[in-house]
Amino acid sequence: MSNTKVDLELDLKGLACPMPVVKVSKGIKEIEVGQVLKAVTTDKGSLTDFPAWAETSGNEILDTQEGDGVFEFYIKRTG
Amino acid sequence: MEATAYTAQSLYTWILDESSNFLLLDVRNPTEFTRFKVEGPKPIDMLNVPYMEFVEFEEASVAKVPKGKPVRIVCAKEGSAKFVADILLNNGFTDVGFLAGGIKSWGNMLVPKLLADNGYQLYQFIRPGKASCSYGLASGGELMLFDPSRNVDFYQQFAEEKGLAITATFETHLQADYIAGSNSIAQATSATFLAPPDDFKDAQYEYTPAQDGDIYGFTQPGPEIRVLHTPGHTPGSTCYLIDGTYLVSGDTMFIQSVGRPDLGGKAEAWSKMLFTTLTQIIGPMGNSTLILPGHFADWSEANEDFAVVDTLGAIRNRNAAIYAINNEADFYAFIRDNMREQPPEYAKIRLINAGLSVVDDEEAEVMDLGKNECAASAGK
Repeated sequence: MSNTKVDLELDLKGLACPMPVVKVSKGIKEIEVGQVLKAVTTDKGSLTDFPAWAETSGNEILDTQEGDGVFEFYIKRTG
Repeated sequence: MEATAYTAQSLYTWILDESSNFLLLDVRNPTEFTRFKVEGPKPIDMLNVPYMEFVEFEEASVAKVPKGKPVRIVCAKEGSAKFVADILLNNGFTDVGFLAGGIKSWGNMLVPKLLADNGYQLYQFIRPGKASCSYGLASGGELMLFDPSRNVDFYQQFAEEKGLAITATFETHLQADYIAGSNSIAQATSATFLAPPDDFKDAQYEYTPAQDGDIYGFTQPGPEIRVLHTPGHTPGSTCYLIDGTYLVSGDTMFIQSVGRPDLGGKAEAWSKMLFTTLTQIIGPMGNSTLILPGHFADWSEANEDFAVVDTLGAIRNRNAAIYAINNEADFYAFIRDNMREQPPEYAKIRLINAGLSVVDDEEAEVMDLGKNECAASAGK
């Protein structure tokens, strides 16, 4: 996913639930439909919360990367 | 107006009290909600509206929550429940609370029940979040524990409040469904850790083997604890008979059903062992023996006092179809017909309980949550 063009990156490390979802919800509205948002979190809950949020909001998670307690989400605005 | 925090203990009390008419609003995502939710001895008016729906569609989500009764919110940790509580308060709700510490505080909570007070005190510690039970036997200022959970602080605080010293902690078998507390308790106190050697021979820590026929007692005269090797659920499975009357049965037998002999991948061999245990060791015991199981599958197994205990006679009647089986082949057929998948985390929990795998506290917490899957049959 390092080749994916990222239009907006949000550093959400250290933030606890519900803030990562709240920030991603705001961030996705700042980009155009078809563009990609990258969100970086350290909250394990985001692994199941982000997919649930994506389904609710009608956006698409293209890829999720995990390593060293950090989670990277590539989210395409489709909704 | 501010949302107020409530404890898991309060939640349990409200569930028991039919006059407390409240809505339990779980705001975790549907995956987490399906995996593990609050259950109690009485029906709960419960609703799952994930907090991400409140983030995206505030008005529609608020409209899903009926007005007119107190709303008690639960989430994974606490933050999202508080977040939703504030939204509800801004929308005209007046009595809104959030669970302090999130769902894991419910999952770890232990409820003490005094089962016997005959010169010694026998307590059952019910863990509603796991549908599991541990036990405490107090006599002469000493406390012995049986199958404690990893909530070590609770047992230490309980002992301190009653002026007791924890002197021994027994395991009935190598647990697969929850992280056992005996090793941590032995490290935190000077308690002797006793466990069946057939299950614990690979354990990476010190313990005292509890051998069939051994008798343990208190420093002062008190009830004796007899070790009975009852293989089947695991090869080492052991029951502890207290004062000739109370059988701490671990996962060998429950109020409803018997322990699964298929969790170790040797269903046929372990079924035979369990059949021998039930017919040869449990078989001759009198109907008045009181069975203190390690788990329950459903709150219908609890008595009117919400304790999970019954006489062997009542259990034989309730499970007549199982206890009527008189040969190994039919018993294995019954086990096979009731076999189902085991949760994927059980293999790892076994390694942790033997000290063969080490995980951090957060991971242990996550694996430890969720209801047990230990009974051979799930039917009523």
